[in-house]
Amino acid sequence: MSEKTGGGVKRREFLKVVGASSAALATAACAAEDTGKLIPYLVSPDQTVPGVSTYYATTCRECAAACGLIAETRDGRAIKLEGNPDHPLNHGALCARGQAGLQGLYNPDRFRTPMVKEGDAWKAIALDDAINRLSQAVAQGRGAAGNAVFLNQHESGSFPRFLDSWLAAFGMPAHLSVDAEADAAAMEANRRTYGVSWPSLDFKAAKLIVSFGADFLDGWGASVPQQLNYAEARAQLDAAPRFVYIGPRRSLTGLNADEWIACNPGSELAIANALAGKGSIQDAATASGADAAALQRIATELSAAKPALVLSGVTGDNALDVALAVAAINQASGAVGTTILSAQPITSFDGMSRTDQVLAAVERMRAKQVGVAFVRGVNPAHSLPRAAKFAEAFANVPVRVSFSSYPDETTELCTLIIPDLHSLESWGDAEPVRGTISLQQPTMDPVFAGTMGTADVLLAVAKKDAANAAKFAATDYRTWLFSTLPGGDKAIAAALPKGIMAGSLGARTTTVAAAPTAAPKAPAIAATQGDFFLVTYPSPVLGEGRGANKPWLQELPDPVTKIAWSSWVELHPETAQRLGVDRGDIVEVKTAQGTVRAPALPYLGIHKNAIAIPLGQGHRSAAQMATFQPKNHDPSNVQWGYGRYARALGVQALDLLPLGTDGAGGLVLTSTKASISKTGDHRTLPSTEGSARQHGRGIAQAINAADLNNPERPEHEEIPGDANHAFLPGMRSPVAADAQGELGSPTSANQGILKGMYDPADSRGMTKRRWAMTIDLARCTGCSACVTACYAENNIPTVGAYWQNASIWADERPGFNIERGREMNWLRLERYFEGNLDGKFGVDFETRFVPMLCQHCGNAPCEPVCPVYATYHAPDGLNVQVYNRCVGTRYCSNNCPYKVRYFNWFGYGESDRKQYAFPEPLNWQLNPDVTVRGKGVMEKCTFCVQRVREAENRAALEHRDVRPDEFTTACAQACPSRAITFGDAADPNWSVTQVARDRRAYHVFEELNTYTAVVYLKKVNHPAAGAAAPRG
Amino acid sequence: MATTAAPSRTVERPNIPSAAVRFPAIKDYEQVDREIAGTLRPTLGWFAALGIAILCMLIGATTWTYQIHEGLGAAGYQPPVMWGVYIITFVFWVGIGHAGTLISAILYLFRAGFRTSIYRVSEAMTVFAVMTAGLFPILHLGRPWKFFFLIPYPNWRLIWPNPKSPLVWDVFAILTYLTISSTFLYIGLIPDIAILRDREKNPVRKAILATLSLGWRNSDREWRHFTRAYLFLAAFATPLVLSVHSVVSFDFAMALTPGWHATIFPPYFVAGAIFSGIGMVFTIAIPLRKAFKLEHYITLNDLDAASKLCLFTSMVVGLAYLTEFQVAWMSGNRFEQDYFWNRVFGQWAWAAWIMLICNMVLPLSLFSQKLRRNPTWLFILSLFINLGMWFERFVIVVPSLSHEFEPWQWGSYKPTWVDYGILLGSFGWFFMWFLLFIKQLPAMAMSEIKEVIPPRMKHPDPQLEHELDVGYPHPSETGEYGTA
Repeated sequence: MSEKTGGGVKRREFLKVVGASSAALATAACAAEDTGKLIPYLVSPDQTVPGVSTYYATTCRECAAACGLIAETRDGRAIKLEGNPDHPLNHGALCARGQAGLQGLYNPDRFRTPMVKEGDAWKAIALDDAINRLSQAVAQGRGAAGNAVFLNQHESGSFPRFLDSWLAAFGMPAHLSVDAEADAAAMEANRRTYGVSWPSLDFKAAKLIVSFGADFLDGWGASVPQQLNYAEARAQLDAAPRFVYIGPRRSLTGLNADEWIACNPGSELAIANALAGKGSIQDAATASGADAAALQRIATELSAAKPALVLSGVTGDNALDVALAVAAINQASGAVGTTILSAQPITSFDGMSRTDQVLAAVERMRAKQVGVAFVRGVNPAHSLPRAAKFAEAFANVPVRVSFSSYPDETTELCTLIIPDLHSLESWGDAEPVRGTISLQQPTMDPVFAGTMGTADVLLAVAKKDAANAAKFAATDYRTWLFSTLPGGDKAIAAALPKGIMAGSLGARTTTVAAAPTAAPKAPAIAATQGDFFLVTYPSPVLGEGRGANKPWLQELPDPVTKIAWSSWVELHPETAQRLGVDRGDIVEVKTAQGTVRAPALPYLGIHKNAIAIPLGQGHRSAAQMATFQPKNHDPSNVQWGYGRYARALGVQALDLLPLGTDGAGGLVLTSTKASISKTGDHRTLPSTEGSARQHGRGIAQAINAADLNNPERPEHEEIPGDANHAFLPGMRSPVAADAQGELGSPTSANQGILKGMYDPADSRGMTKRRWAMTIDLARCTGCSACVTACYAENNIPTVGAYWQNASIWADERPGFNIERGREMNWLRLERYFEGNLDGKFGVDFETRFVPMLCQHCGNAPCEPVCPVYATYHAPDGLNVQVYNRCVGTRYCSNNCPYKVRYFNWFGYGESDRKQYAFPEPLNWQLNPDVTVRGKGVMEKCTFCVQRVREAENRAALEHRDVRPDEFTTACAQACPSRAITFGDAADPNWSVTQVARDRRAYHVFEELNTYTAVVYLKKVNHPAAGAAAPRG
Repeated sequence: MATTAAPSRTVERPNIPSAAVRFPAIKDYEQVDREIAGTLRPTLGWFAALGIAILCMLIGATTWTYQIHEGLGAAGYQPPVMWGVYIITFVFWVGIGHAGTLISAILYLFRAGFRTSIYRVSEAMTVFAVMTAGLFPILHLGRPWKFFFLIPYPNWRLIWPNPKSPLVWDVFAILTYLTISSTFLYIGLIPDIAILRDREKNPVRKAILATLSLGWRNSDREWRHFTRAYLFLAAFATPLVLSVHSVVSFDFAMALTPGWHATIFPPYFVAGAIFSGIGMVFTIAIPLRKAFKLEHYITLNDLDAASKLCLFTSMVVGLAYLTEFQVAWMSGNRFEQDYFWNRVFGQWAWAAWIMLICNMVLPLSLFSQKLRRNPTWLFILSLFINLGMWFERFVIVVPSLSHEFEPWQWGSYKPTWVDYGILLGSFGWFFMWFLLFIKQLPAMAMSEIKEVIPPRMKHPDPQLEHELDVGYPHPSETGEYGTA
């Protein structure tokens, strides 16, 4: 053609050039920023397409359990963590802490380079220099046994073995494998009774679950598999086991229980013995302050329940005795092999050191017997009680090396920092269950070039040492790991896509066998001075403090109290009334060891003789810190005190505790009484809770198990004027765009005949899908993993940091925006209390959790009021928000009965503002498929429209329809209770259609005729025989 | 309508609406020109007041600039209370804007004589109040620089405003009202501008006034056209008094929110608007009357008559308040019932009681003729009415939003200095325009007053002079006009 028409640019050529260059520009524009290159790879790795995700299977290291991960990476960066569906522990689910691993990877306060302390100042050095310095220190310190201490975060897998072999090569004792959250007493009892550290628990098989303070949904043991199983158990509805929780404080697990027996701390043993028939019920009732009749009833139930599942997570000085007593009950009820699967143990916790071993090491440091100390991933300066005087002892060690990535308290006390790689950047493995190895592989290049995997550092040090160079010939840790894993390179390569491989790393025992005798035993709590028992507990979100530097976790309201970015002191409303303390009044809690001041929180779920303070906050820096400048922050200005998000936030409750260990060598967290006094100060608690009561509005509905099959109780309330629901019966509502038409009319003769635009013959031909969701409240435990999943998927900014308020004359206090209700959680977890309106102690109450998100109403009140069509209805049932159109009248939010719309009060997404929620490199995590919203626009749950469209596009490319259940939303994907189902309600092949037809289904505020697309299934209660039915 | 002492003789002037009003202290046309044009001389007090108004306006402007830069989070919004001081103040100013048109248009049609002396002030107040109110819907936007998305015009974005949204109706209502009320004000001003033109010595000012007066020559033909045009515009503006505030009330009534979702809102809002407008007329006219020494123009009779209108609208508003409670009580709707219980006994009880006392209870004092004729009391009462009407809108906006369907999202609200700064700025803006107006153009309709007073006779009738003397002792002798 061009020959015929002569010179010049031909139209077709012109179009080609324009098309190609715009495509190139578009591609470059879509890629994550800050690469310095148009395309991240000069030579693209195979199968890497810009703008298309690559998925790596790896292993989660956020707690000791070692769940399987699928890391989604885009253009060479991890952007989302999800559970690995093939993994034997978590089966695709993932808790909030696991998902927040990404914010550890991209934490803005991560060390960028090794650092050395010279005088009082820290100096950044090169990696080579750091390795040389470490070699010298190790060379100087080698020799006499006991000259070194290596404290490593407990992990399962080959690394501990590698580490011990390295330490041994340099004449150092084996490392201590520390987990500050682990329940040593339960593990010890398990080992003695069942021969394993942690058996799998099968709640499904149980007829009755009794928990003595065992918070198996909060982080006690392997919480994700436990939660998966518990939810399955409760989903058996009328056949589900009843759950009784015994303890001084109702934790998240306790709130999920059907009945709570409040007891004095320390009296659990008496109750356990009484339930086992070894002691008198009356004595137990006297000791615990619990109702004798209730205890008697539970004893009777327990003797009839074969098998039962009784768990102990007591944190008192007699924890081991309770755990052993409980194990005896289990054995008697036939639990072993049915509900307690000791043949299928969770091996992740094997080989864990005990706190008394750590304390013994601290004493050796104090006695100047330690020449060099290493810490990696642990933070004893924060996680040991102040009474342990760790800092003082640690200062007696001449060479203190930290492999920590973050500026935590212990690292600040060190002399040399060689920052480790994050688990998402490095190789590793774990054996979470016997016979299955979970592989950990790098999902991306290291975020900071100055960081290096500790194993590789150790290899480099060994290579510099003449005596050890030959022993550690492996070029890097990957080579070493591959050489030791069963099956060799080929098997590993085959297993990597799945993340798991068959095989075993061999049994691992406690690394330091002999328990030291010098460890102080905790005194009996009753003997201490004070008016109230002091209960401290690891936060279900922040743990003992590890999570505090991750804004997602700080922003995630505590599942029980719904407070974020703060510490608090829980006390019973009756106690509060007696002391004249209101919610938010600052109280001073005093023990023989110290005092802390924190806002008070009257909470129904605490014994009237007890007060409780969560652990996790109270991170401090030893050095005086200059004011943090959120704008133009210089990374070399290290934010000691565990980073900008954690520092100087809340209080450290461990300051109050005497140093004491239980019979199993674990730290006793409930070890002292305390006195409490009002200070006169007040601090509004940053809480997402408006009213804790439903006021009879039927948002979270429940039904008693006995009524499930009762024909006298109608399944659905009749609403006058309600539309006929013959089409899509599960939805019980007309569908999108027809809500105001004939389908919505209660008088239409065509009711149930017309399918509106969902009819295949419909002339509009717009869609045949109606995206919808079901949420099963019988499964939901309120763990809030879905909330964090939503933050991760949808680029939701965190707004609670103290600098995220306005600039002039504004309160700069953490959580201020949350106090003002400005949190952005597109999906929030509401926690409603039922019963005990008077707040009387001893009257049981019920808790209902409701995940509340945009209901994608068929007849949405937000849509007609928007003056600029920024929110409108998509043909497939989605209620769509167009950010670019939004001018920010906020009328849509005013008119939303569910209050699920969130407004950008500040420029959280603009990097030149102090309110910026994603300071470099946190912004690397942002999902490229989702807009980062600007200031002044409204946003809300989109039903993960980017996933919907991605699936539709993929299907279109493959010339097929979207397959039923082909994809799901981020919340449903993460949910460790499998409470959320998403799909097309107009197609019976999707699970959501089946679930929505459940007899328990209801819509929130159905009487408003909003025709929501979210169907809730009523919670199922199992009240004690003779108890009143729940209301609401 | 107007209360007048029985005149012994009246000069009938059919078809002139203010015929029934008497200004006994005004002897002749020249006095009107002299006294009213005399108010246009700037005084030190005026400069001081204008300075304060401009300062307040600048504070508001600076605060708004800061708010635009920082984001709406600088204001005190606490979700679910997504609307706050700005929308409250918007409705407040729109409401104030209503009395002007009511007085100038509706009372004109009804031939209510007492309007003559106060209508110009009210009309100017209307225009400036609407100008103030019109700022707030823009000011409260998350992205105020995109406000033109609400205006219907063909554009490449292919975005058309949503005709279902009451906020779009608002745009039309406010713009229409601003157009009509400012036209009405201007038309009424033309003969007066001509008077000023004729008295003006400064050639520049004279030229400007000449242009503004559109060459008015005081001819019969011009007057015929003028009165026709004025009547037409009065008839045109009258429905707007009812419609504009009805539309504003739709912002609330069209929503689902408990406390908003009520059919009573349009009449309730219109009555409230007139009530608040008359309150503001008192707030402005009483000090003005004193400062300009115009007690014999804005007479106690006029104030008395306006007070009766104020009392009437207060009772309408009070009835609406009580009706809301009755409807909630009888609705069987637990959301409504819960909300209204919360309104008077809940966290916002203080605001509701300010509203009820200021708007329902205190105006009942106007049943007393003594208080109706006491400008000091009327001024104090008017301040309470202004406060009460601001709080009426507060009670409608904030408690409703903070106590909606979903208890988990119940919240609170506390404005910050930014809200207060902009609120202050709105008063500064309003009074700046108003103060500028009263020194440029007459605050009283000279030509209309002249229509009312008897013309000077070429040959005075001794009998008439005597009767006038007997029937109308000079007010300065009796102290009838008070000392306020």
